[in-house]
Amino acid sequence: MSKTLAITALNLRRTFRDRGNIFFMLLLPLIMVFMMGMSYGGDQQRLGLVVNGQDQPLAERLADELEESGRFPIERLGDYEQLRDRIEQGRINGGLVIPEDYDETLRDGGTVEIGFVTRPDDWSSYPLRTWASSIASQEASVIGAAQFASENGDEGFDENLRRSEEADPPGIEVETVTTGEAVFPQDVGQYGLAAPPLLLLFTFVISLTTAIGVVEMRQKGLSRRMYSTPTPLRTLIAGEALGRFVVTISQALIILVGSSLLFGVVWGDPLAISAVVAAFCLVGAGTAMLIGSLCRSEGGALAAALVVGLGAAGAGGTMVPLEALSGPSRTAAYATPHAWGYEAFSELIRHGGGILDILPQLGALCGFAVVLFGLGAWRMKWVLTR
Amino acid sequence: MALLEVEKLSKSYGSNTAVAEVGFHIDKGETYGLLGPNGAGKSTTISIIAGVLKADSGSVRIDGQEHGVSNAATKGQIGFVPQELALYPDLNAWDNLMFFARLYGLSGAKARSRCGEILEIIDLTDRAKENVSTFSGGMSRRLNIGVGMLNRPRLLILDEPAVGVDAQSRNAILESIQRQAADGVSVLYTTHYMEEAERLCDRVGIIDSGRIQAEGTQRELISQVGEDDTIVLSLGGGKDRAVRALKELSEVREVSVEGSEVRLLLKDARSVIARILEVVTASEAVLRSVEVQEPDLEAVFLHLTGKALRE
Repeated sequence: MSKTLAITALNLRRTFRDRGNIFFMLLLPLIMVFMMGMSYGGDQQRLGLVVNGQDQPLAERLADELEESGRFPIERLGDYEQLRDRIEQGRINGGLVIPEDYDETLRDGGTVEIGFVTRPDDWSSYPLRTWASSIASQEASVIGAAQFASENGDEGFDENLRRSEEADPPGIEVETVTTGEAVFPQDVGQYGLAAPPLLLLFTFVISLTTAIGVVEMRQKGLSRRMYSTPTPLRTLIAGEALGRFVVTISQALIILVGSSLLFGVVWGDPLAISAVVAAFCLVGAGTAMLIGSLCRSEGGALAAALVVGLGAAGAGGTMVPLEALSGPSRTAAYATPHAWGYEAFSELIRHGGGILDILPQLGALCGFAVVLFGLGAWRMKWVLTR
Repeated sequence: MALLEVEKLSKSYGSNTAVAEVGFHIDKGETYGLLGPNGAGKSTTISIIAGVLKADSGSVRIDGQEHGVSNAATKGQIGFVPQELALYPDLNAWDNLMFFARLYGLSGAKARSRCGEILEIIDLTDRAKENVSTFSGGMSRRLNIGVGMLNRPRLLILDEPAVGVDAQSRNAILESIQRQAADGVSVLYTTHYMEEAERLCDRVGIIDSGRIQAEGTQRELISQVGEDDTIVLSLGGGKDRAVRALKELSEVREVSVEGSEVRLLLKDARSVIARILEVVTASEAVLRSVEVQEPDLEAVFLHLTGKALRE
């Protein structure tokens, strides 16, 4: 056992002595979590509001109603161009444009159109639109009542509007009741969405780059020298495998702890997270051993590591969210361990699941680990004894 | 008494026979050279003896005990120095030694003490904490050998340990191996540098095409192949008289003249040289220089295999 640990410790030591690895394993993943988290947004949705024209008290009333509702923050903007730029920059999700004939049309008893501006297919703007429509409807009913009273009474529109407002006309509110679970719950936060796929991506790629060490060991005659000592072959393979596993799990821990401390990511049930991370790291270490024992040069091993690492990450839903994949792409994703890891993390982080909720995903990851570790160990034994 | 006994060792890769029924032995404290060109089967033979490769057939015994890839007891008696610099370049010399010491089963104070001794033996004590990547070729080679001596081996196997180093480093390496042999360690040494084999080895096995072609001491090998010695005389005046007189000598098999140089082919030049000089003096020729050329392992190798050692 002490020889196994000596080989493991050597692998770990060599990894962390390399200053380049400090950047790639420590800084880069956390920088990526920060950047990806920022791109997910996470700030509360905001509604832009443009009131065209001068001296429009009714338009100001609508603006006040929206602001007083407090459901979403309002950002007042000068004109349509400003609103369009803010939406295109992703700083706000949608905006209302009140036309300059708003007051005049309403006072004349006409119907006014308010523009709602958003990006195409921006599902996040739907709540804004629903809410704005609701406020506008309420305002329409108050104004409608004032108009009716003016047309059928002696008082002017403004007096009737005041009275209508005081009368607090009955309204109908539609209450939204959700069922099932949101794909991206609001309370997870943007970093909670960004960190899990990046953990899968970085952990797998880093683990695969340790394949280079297997090639180096063979090329430099280190494996022959180690095997010439009174150390059983199974001890050597166990040490190398454990070394790769420890390096891989170190990467995972850096992202787990770093994202938790720096960005407040709540990873959920510790036991379940540990199980998923451990199983996924075993998959990575096994794949690294397999690649390292199949490749004949360090360059070849690096290329294979990047192709397999990034390819599996891309196909498995860690670059484009798994939820965005459909049809054959979604089915194909489950041929990678990443998709199973992603699903497990989603269940634990977004929906507060426990280890029992992720048994299928955990089982799939363990299956990957057993097959790849078995193949890696068998192939390593083969190359070390020839 | 033999420490290493190799019998009918064979190893093939598919249809390619790397080693065919190789057999030899090494006595305790003896240095045995395995001499052959690249691809002759030296490294395969050495790998099997070092316990890192399984033979298809044949046997290896260390001190009478059957030896193989999974025999930790016999492996513990062997120190193996591969041809490659089997070191971690990003670790320092001390860490490299300590790591391999652990694989040899040494730990704690014992490991530290032995690593310290090795650093002194290979003269790297003051560079112990420097990364191997900063070492010269000679220093790396010395450390490579040092690792192989960590377990105080009874049999030290060195696969071309001095390849690619300068003359000074090579000399230091060869001296350290000679010291090991003087301490009673049996040494199996492969090289394709004839001078190294001649300097170090008590006996030599010449291997080619996976087979031992001949073995013995240097003199035995030379006598086996029947190569003649050569005496080269540089003569001034009276050369023709001297040549006529030399041709009369029964010990001289052939005389050839090229300018002032007279070449004599004969058996055992050292025992006849005095008589040759007498004849030259008696013929009143002017003798400018004398050179005795004995056949070397290179010549033996060429004779046995039909090719040069470094082909």
